Parts: sequence; structure tokens; C-alpha cells
Amino acid sequence: MTTQTLIEITINGISRGAVYALVALGYTMVYGVLGMINFAHGEIFMIGMFACVYALGIFANAWGDQVLLNLGLAIAVAMIFSAAYGYANERIAYRRLRKAHVLAPLTSAIGISTFLQYFIFLTVSRDTVNFPRYYSDYLTSHHVHIGPAEITYLQLAILGLTLVIMAGLFYLINCTRLGIALRATAQDQLMASLVGIPVNRIIAFTFILGSALAAIAGVMVSMYDNVLVFDAGYRVGLKAFTAAILGGIGNVPGAVLGALILGLTEALTTLQFGSQWNDVTTFVVLMLVLLLRPRGLLGERVADKV
Amino acid sequence: MNPRWRPYLLGIPGLAIITFPFLWLQLRPNFDTNTVRVAWAPGHGLQFFSDLFPVFVIAFLIWLGVQTNRCLGLSEAATRNPAWQKAGGIWNVSWAWMAMALVLSGPFFMNGSSLDLMTNAGIYMLLALGLNITVGMTGLLVLGYAGFYAFGAYFFALSQQNFSWFPWWMAAPLAFVLGGGIGYLLGLPCLRLRGDYLAIVTLGFAEAFRVLMRNLDASESAPSDSWFQHLLLCLDTNGDKGIILKDSAMFRGFAGLNSGQMSYLITALILFLAVFLVQRLYHSPVGRAWVAIRENEIAAASVGIPVVQMKLLAFSLSAAVAAVAGVIYGAKNGFINPDTCAFQQSIMVLAMVILGGLGNSYGALLGAALLYLVPEYLKLIPTMIQGNSFLSAAVPPFLRDALQHLADYRLLLFGAVMVLMMLYRPQGLLGSSRRKTEMLHT
Repeated sequence: MTTQTLIEITINGISRGAVYALVALGYTMVYGVLGMINFAHGEIFMIGMFACVYALGIFANAWGDQVLLNLGLAIAVAMIFSAAYGYANERIAYRRLRKAHVLAPLTSAIGISTFLQYFIFLTVSRDTVNFPRYYSDYLTSHHVHIGPAEITYLQLAILGLTLVIMAGLFYLINCTRLGIALRATAQDQLMASLVGIPVNRIIAFTFILGSALAAIAGVMVSMYDNVLVFDAGYRVGLKAFTAAILGGIGNVPGAVLGALILGLTEALTTLQFGSQWNDVTTFVVLMLVLLLRPRGLLGERVADKV
Repeated sequence: MNPRWRPYLLGIPGLAIITFPFLWLQLRPNFDTNTVRVAWAPGHGLQFFSDLFPVFVIAFLIWLGVQTNRCLGLSEAATRNPAWQKAGGIWNVSWAWMAMALVLSGPFFMNGSSLDLMTNAGIYMLLALGLNITVGMTGLLVLGYAGFYAFGAYFFALSQQNFSWFPWWMAAPLAFVLGGGIGYLLGLPCLRLRGDYLAIVTLGFAEAFRVLMRNLDASESAPSDSWFQHLLLCLDTNGDKGIILKDSAMFRGFAGLNSGQMSYLITALILFLAVFLVQRLYHSPVGRAWVAIRENEIAAASVGIPVVQMKLLAFSLSAAVAAVAGVIYGAKNGFINPDTCAFQQSIMVLAMVILGGLGNSYGALLGAALLYLVPEYLKLIPTMIQGNSFLSAAVPPFLRDALQHLADYRLLLFGAVMVLMMLYRPQGLLGSSRRKTEMLHT
């Protein structure tokens, strides 16, 4: 393996991983607060992808194709839409069933996820939709050189955005009143409500924040791969979930670490065996983690509390 | 105003806003400049709602029935009636024998296409029955159930390719054992942990298995003389194109019955056997242990139930039943492709179990029958209407289109069914009130 391929593989893997990290954060935050997996999270990601393309179309109708302005606004719109869907998901599938048997909210979330997938399938497109390349070309055709390897602006943007978001999230959780309320809710909902924390709003906020991050990831993935498809959320969701478990579910830095490792593993698989084996690798990683270190790399014990 | 309606007052306009672009606008990609425009397309959204019109009608009728029942207290009056209590509901032994006789006489009064539909429904019933052991009785979510189903089907097809004498009746018990083994191996790492890990692991398994079956295509790999190549030739699944089984491998006609009738009878007999065994198991100490785990795992562990072993047993049994269903599917249809284990299949079976009633075997059968047969028969109505001059004048064309398109909307509706059932009737159609309290307050 030459240095060039090594660097390129690393960069590809890390930028893949950064995208998974954004999705994995949504899983891990909801898990941290509710102790439940949000099965509809992958579909929220997919809604972000499609909302972005619609927004690009609407802005282009209104004032023409201005690459950076439209793209920035479209990302904002995608975040708002995903957040709205995430909130709706929490209200419909989770809030009323919060005290129920754990099977009930999981099943209703799966229901929401299937519904959203086929809603997009039936109303938008049964086939793949191409991302308007006019907007992503600027980012994918310009390179920065690091030694012999080339990095596209898009990869740089993904890495930069992810870093900024991580830092912001870290600040939010550890240094603000909202973050304290969030951690308190995660520890004990009843106690949190007794000291005056609006638990319902905090949980809704967690869903909204995770969904907005998933929307950013959705836009990045659709620019990276150039295609949007109604079941994209399910695949990426599976990978992000694996990443969250790998890092220790419920643990925010763990999710990022897990996602980066998974991204690198995938890049190596693609190099060695071809990209069609990526899903198998993900599954192998998931099984290995569950077998060897079920609490994840940075997590605490996850076996059921007694 | 009634405060009960307040969430709907805000929620419905909210949902209308967030679904607005997807329903009422259409993307117009321009492939020359690689840009995109959006066009106002109200026909698009109207089409969506008009296709769902029959569903709205059915939902309205169900709502009306529920309201009448609530106002008049019909179901309570019926259960208070001593004659009804004496009959022990409808599932009394003699009724069960009569139902069995009716089902087994099916081949003699149904035509070929109905028999085919019924056989498929029987396979789905078997799957729902198997999934019910894990999801309904033990309370563990499984999302990739079709993975085991496809495992059974591919196991049969691949062994047929290598040993052409291998008949289905030898493959079925072997698939039962192997499917159970795979379930055991998959469950082992994750059932020690939280219950919801199983959902993700099975989902991953189904996806990985699908990818594996798509990629094990000997025609696309370079020929060489290595052992790997020989192994690949043995496991050649022909990729996306799928495997077509030889006629000799499929269910054959026997004693004056054609192959369709035979496959119906075989499916029905295996289904009866499975229902019988599952019911016996449910009322045995093992079944009681499963219910105890479902209701409260900690309490179950503290009275000495080996929780992990019991969960593993339930899950491997489920997987084994699915593998047998896969063998039947292969022997009946003679064609298998990687889509057998698609996510949609798993969701479909899960929706059947949830609709029918979690933890109730007859409920699972009912759910499978309803969710498979109703859309299939609704699809047949338009052709019936066309044959009848009076009806074709009376039924508006949009309704005819809607009935024809309904099959596409199936998965959308399954998703909605799962959410609505969990919110309004978590015990399912045939569930008990005990199950309801259990689902809603733990």
C-alpha cells in the first residue's frame, strides 16, 4: 500500500465516519435520556436528505441558482424539517407510551419508520433521486493537497462541520443550564421533574437536537454519494447504531469514536473486498462488539439494571 | 371545547405543514445543468389521498363499530351472557376440529388461484406464529425475522443444487435444527444484554444475509482453482437473479391431487402441527416462564427462572420455525432471490403479530390472514367490477384505481397499523384485558 492510498483511505474513512457520528449522536442522546433506541432516527435522516433537495428547488425557483446561499439555506430548511419530524415522532410514538412496556414504544417507532419510508416512496419517488450536482460540484471538484493525496472541499467541510458540532454539543451538555437539565433527566426523570425541570420539554429537545444533526448528515451524504433513495435511512441508521454501540451507547464522545472506527473499517473493506461487502462488515463489527465488549469502548455497564 | 381535542387541533395543521412539500410539490430535475426545480403538483397529493380512500372508509367503519360498541355495551353484554361463557368463547375443541376439517377440505372447493393465495397466507401464518413466540410471548423485539426465513429457503435451494436427491421433507427438519442453531448463536451475545439489542442484531443479520446472498455469485468472480473458488461454486446463489429450483425439488402432485393442491395440504398440515405444538408449549412451564419474563424480568429471575436460557430458547424456536417456513416457500414457489429477506418482509410479519394480538397464537393467525388476504382480495375487486355492467357504471373510476393501487400502499398502512395499535389497542385484536394493562402500565 502506498502512502497515497493510505492517506486517501484514512481521509475517506474519517469523513464517512464523521457522517455516521452525526447520526449516531441522535441515537446515543435519545438512548441516554430515555433508555430506549429511537428506531425512526434513520428515517429522520432520510427526510433531511429529501427536504434539502426540495428546498434547493424552491430557492432556485425564487431567485435562481446561487450555490452557496441556496445550499446554506437548504441545510437550514432540512434541519428544521427533520427537527419537526423528530418532534412529531416523539409526540406520536414515544410520549404516550413512555410508561408502557418497552415493546410498545419500540414497535410504534418501527411503525413510524416504515410509514415515513413508504410515504416518501409513494409521494416523492419510487426510484433513486439525483442530488442536483450543480450545487455539490463546487465542493467535490476542488481539492486540497496533503502530500501525494487529494482531499475534496466536501470532505473538509464534513470534517470541519462535525468538529464544530462536536465542540458545540460538548459545550451544551457540560457547560449550560440546558445541559445540566438534560443530564438530570437522563439520570432520573422523576427527581428531575421534582426540582422543576420540564422533563417533557427536555426529552422533546433531545429528539429535536438529534434530528437536526441527522439532517446535516443527510445533506452531507447526499452530496457525497449524489443519490437519494427512500430506504437510505435504514442502512445508515443501522451503521450509526453499530457505531453508537461500538463507542458505548448513551456516551456522546463514544459515539463519535465508534463512528470514526466504523468509517475506517468500511474504507478498508472497500479497498480490500469492494464496497458491496460494507454491510456485512458492519454486522461483523456489531457482533464482535456485543461478544467481546458489550458495554462499548467508552461506555459503562449496559446489562439490565437490577 | 373538550381539552381532549387540543393536541389534534395543533397536531393536524402541523402535520399538514411538514408533509406539504412531499405531497403537493414535485421535483423537476434538469439533467443538462444538473440543477433542480420544484413544481406545484396538486394532482400528486390528490392521487395519494384518493388511493387511500378505501382505507379511510374501512377505518371509519371500524371507528363507527367501536363507538356503537362503547355506547351500547355490546361486547360486555355478550361476555356476561351465561350461554357464551359456557361455550368458552369460540375456541372450544369441537370448533377447532370443525375448522381443521374445513381448512383441509379446501382443495376440493377452491380454484387454483385461491389455493395459491391461501398457501401463501399459510406460510405467512407460520411465520407470524413463529415470530409470536419471541415478540408476543417473551416480549423481545425481532426486526429481521425474514433473515431466518430466507436462510431456510436458501438452505433448501443450495442443498438442492449440490445434492439433487435431497427432498423437502428431509430439508425441513434439518432447516429447523440449523435455523434454531443460528438463532442460538445470534441470540447468545445479545440476549445477555438489553432486550432491544436483539432487534438491531436481527435487523443487521437480515441485511448482512441479504448482501451475502447477493454477492455470492460465481458467474461474476474470476475463475481459479483455489479451494475458495470450489466453495463459492457450491454456494452459488446466482446473485440478484435468484435461484430457480428444479421441478423435482418442488411439491409434487400425489394421488390424483395436483401440485397446487398438494402444497396447500402440506402447508396446512405443518401449520396445524405448529399451532398445536406452540399451544402446548405456551401452557407448559416453559410458556409460563416466557410470560413471566415478559411481565417482569427481574421478578422472573428472582423466582429462579433462568432468564437468559429461556429467552434463547424462545428466540431459537422462532428462528427454527421461520427456517421451516422458508423451506416450504422454496418448495412451493421454486424461486428464491435475495429479496426474500428484505426488511419489508420482516415488517409485514411483525405487523401481522401486532395486529392479531401479541402473545396469542390465534391472534397471530388472524393477523396474518387479514394483512395478507385483504389487500390481495381488494386487488381482485376491480376485475370483478369490470365484468358487471351495473357495478362498472355505479363505481366511480377513482375508486377502481384506488383498489388497484392499494397493494403499493401496503407497507405504509402496516406502519400506520403498528403505531395505531400500540396507541389504542396494544393487546391486539384478540388480546385480553390483562395483556392491555401489562402493555400500558409497567
